[in-house]
Amino acid sequence: MSRPLVRSNNRVALTITGLALGLAMSSVRADVVAVVSSKSSLITLSKSQLADIFLGKTQQFPDGSPAVPIDQEEGARVRDEFYVVFTGQSPAQVKAHWSKVIFTGRGKPPRTVSNSEEVRKMITVNPQAISYIERSAVDSTVKVLLQP
Amino acid sequence: MLIQLTRGAGQRPSSLLYQRWAIILAAIAGCPSAAAGTSDFDASMFSFSAFGTFGMVHSSDDQADFTAGIFSPNGAGHTHAWSSDVDSRIGAQATADITSRLSAMLQIISQQNYDNTYTPHVEWANIKYQLTPEVSVRVGRTVLPSFLFSDTREIGYSNPWVRPPIEAYSLVPIDHSDGLDASYRVHYRGLTNTLMTAFGNEKSGTPAGLPNEARRLLVIADTVEYGAATLHIAYQQTYVSVDALDGLFEAFRQFGPQGVALADLYNVHDRLVRFMGIGAMYQPGQWFLLGELGSTDFHSVLGKSTAWYVTGGYRLAKFTPYVTYSAVKADSNRSDPGLSLTALPPSLVGPATGLNAALNSILGSIPVQNTTSLGLRWDFVRHLDLKLQYDYTRLGAGSPGTLANLQPGFVPGSTVNLFSATIDFVW
Repeated sequence: MSRPLVRSNNRVALTITGLALGLAMSSVRADVVAVVSSKSSLITLSKSQLADIFLGKTQQFPDGSPAVPIDQEEGARVRDEFYVVFTGQSPAQVKAHWSKVIFTGRGKPPRTVSNSEEVRKMITVNPQAISYIERSAVDSTVKVLLQP
Repeated sequence: MLIQLTRGAGQRPSSLLYQRWAIILAAIAGCPSAAAGTSDFDASMFSFSAFGTFGMVHSSDDQADFTAGIFSPNGAGHTHAWSSDVDSRIGAQATADITSRLSAMLQIISQQNYDNTYTPHVEWANIKYQLTPEVSVRVGRTVLPSFLFSDTREIGYSNPWVRPPIEAYSLVPIDHSDGLDASYRVHYRGLTNTLMTAFGNEKSGTPAGLPNEARRLLVIADTVEYGAATLHIAYQQTYVSVDALDGLFEAFRQFGPQGVALADLYNVHDRLVRFMGIGAMYQPGQWFLLGELGSTDFHSVLGKSTAWYVTGGYRLAKFTPYVTYSAVKADSNRSDPGLSLTALPPSLVGPATGLNAALNSILGSIPVQNTTSLGLRWDFVRHLDLKLQYDYTRLGAGSPGTLANLQPGFVPGSTVNLFSATIDFVW
């Protein structure tokens, strides 16, 4: 009597595991890293601290110094990956979040630049800047703070 | 019918006011001294944004209208089989960052007005000064954060539903303040707390002969955000007058002590209205859960009501199905024996009966209903979403619920099926 039940439970468990793996896969494949200037004194930052900075919940690094987040353009693959991996939010959720902030006059989204090279240039001239680039775009001017 | 038009002060300010604010904003933006601190005029201090919704709604009850709110003249059901007036709107916003501390915003919205036009009105118009990184003050018009989504209820794209649950969101009759507000925001170990308080007034001419006014408005709201969790508490009080009802209660006062007592109890002239609301939201990413509870006491014929709702949703790639249950109940009496006819001379029995009927028709329209909603949001292309929603509403015994334009064939206490489709955009 119990055998078919056990088998169907196993199938459910397998399906769930498969789904979970599928979700995990998408983050494993992510190739985006959070970066600051190589001259920055910042050493560590948690994922939630990074999310708070990019979602406008704080304008400061944990040590109290001002944080200037730099975004890549909407629709850029690296940007979508960044938000999914580090904030758990889809591009539409991020857009909905900023719509709430903008249309109530509470603030405005981070400044946007067009590609990872521009990000590196911004970061080099501004030690308070924080952003994200593809792992392959990392060079000596930036310091990787967080990776997936 | 009367109560549909009078539950609260008007939200559709005149175009004159809009012009005045536009002039003020333009003056500030163009003022050379305001730009002091920057060496030359910087066009990048301005930013422009827009949002909008196009929606169609069908109601199964053709003997009443489902409307966008108490200021809408008509909607879906009786007036239109499918109405585009209920949810459709377009908004535009200009923001000017005059200095690093001083900014100004102007937001105008075009949507169905009480007079069935789409003349734009000013939703937000204020000047903000950032005193410290934590403290900011604003002067001008703001939308009150009574419920979690009150100040963004028009931004369909940022909301999970086609529209916020009407049971709860219709509890707050005053949603604007023309005045002053202050906000104190602190961030500590991942926890963000925002405490805000506002003082102001709201006055606008709404439907002909129904000028409404809300004076000495006070709001205190606190929002706590920690990771994926948000908690919101708000208290709001104001003194509301509905001049159109003054005649009714003056008439009651002609009936001696018992009439005076009824008029004192039920009049809506400078009456203290109190609202208290609490809401929580948890959205870790793949799924979300949110709920709110609120209560408004009008201390008058408009009664006391409590409403709550719970919404849950799950995101599957670009699709987000969601479900909502919401309910509103009356905490005050929905009928009154009124003037006692036995002691009256025969000539006054007729007028007294009429007054009692008028009083009871207002008391009887205090909404009692609950709704189960099923919906689906589809983020089909960047900056656009499509939502489909089905609402099954059970009207309370003898109650018209939140429906308007009641026709002779309307059956109070019945059930209503509502089908809605909207497309939202932000730019």
